[in-house]
Amino acid sequence: MSTRDLVLAALFAAIIVALGLVPPIILGFIPVPITAQSLGVMLAGVVLGAKRGGFAVLLVLVLVAIGLPVLSGGRGGLATFASPTAGYLVGWFFAAVVAGYLSERFVDRSQSGIVQITGFFLAALLGGVVVDHGLGIIWLAFGTGTGLSTAFLGDLAFVPGDVLKAMIAALAGRAVMVGYPLLPQRV
Amino acid sequence: MKTLYVEGNTLLHRLSARVKLAALAMASMLLFVADSPVLLAPAAIAAAALYGTLGLGWRNSWQRLRAILLTIVIVSAFMLVINDPGAAATGFFRLTALAFFAATITATTSTGDFIATISSAARPLERTGLGRAADIGLAIGLVIRFVPDVLGRYQAIRDAHRARGLKPSALTLGVPLIILTLRNADEIAAAIDARGIRGQNWDKDQR
Repeated sequence: MSTRDLVLAALFAAIIVALGLVPPIILGFIPVPITAQSLGVMLAGVVLGAKRGGFAVLLVLVLVAIGLPVLSGGRGGLATFASPTAGYLVGWFFAAVVAGYLSERFVDRSQSGIVQITGFFLAALLGGVVVDHGLGIIWLAFGTGTGLSTAFLGDLAFVPGDVLKAMIAALAGRAVMVGYPLLPQRV
Repeated sequence: MKTLYVEGNTLLHRLSARVKLAALAMASMLLFVADSPVLLAPAAIAAAALYGTLGLGWRNSWQRLRAILLTIVIVSAFMLVINDPGAAATGFFRLTALAFFAATITATTSTGDFIATISSAARPLERTGLGRAADIGLAIGLVIRFVPDVLGRYQAIRDAHRARGLKPSALTLGVPLIILTLRNADEIAAAIDARGIRGQNWDKDQR
């Protein structure tokens, strides 16, 4: 990893940490505040690609593990990984890697805007919702013994919010690509 | 940024981070093998007692553990309704024990010790060419250094919205925040390389 890649990942990790400290953002069209941190995870993959985005999220998880309260609400420490919802947290890493890899695959600088946004949306959706929620459900089901169907049912309540975040990540990812392109191109 | 580490000189503070993490891994395996509340309830009480020996006080402890204990209670209550009381008790005591053990290690291990342990554990990875162990410490330092910068930039962008009478939204806040922050990467990378922090010719060899 070049020094520039290392710095980009560290800067994005700082953005994700900072998003946990700012007050929740209210979306214009829906009166529900969203926690921005998991949006930041999707964006890490969409903006930086699989390798650097994954490293950025890994850095945030390392900060949590070594006892820094960097998650929203001042949560942190090793105990966070013992929580029933720890699968979602560990899933962030895989979410960023998958969203990043798929973004590199789907999105090309020569495509039209709408194609790029659709590609980013699918990447963020598969990484941030399918992969992350999948791991969250598996940990909840087997770590606490709730069983898969119960865990799945409890999870459903959080799907609409994260689909919405994938949409925002897609629009923001495309806007960043236009303003300051960083996503590696795969041929 | 305030860490969750608490200064002290107890036996747990003096133990090396490596030993404590190995003990935690062992404890978590045992907790998952033990599948009955009869075994897990004493384990949870023992873990809470171990945490209690640190003497952090009720208020401080509640602040640290509030989020995780509430999640455990909610999930256990959910299980009590949907599954059976036995499964709910097993899950409750297992996760409570794990949470207290983990919180004990977090409170007695400094971030410096953790970084040293992670770096030495990552050293075998160097041979795979994935990266260098020393980069972990460098990257962690960079993140901590730049969080206040990002927050300052966030506030500036929000104030700019207010000054123009615009409503801040996720998109109009997020996009400039990302671009303005990442645009500094080249200068920071150049500054790191100019100081030779990552060793000479690293880029040329690895790119």
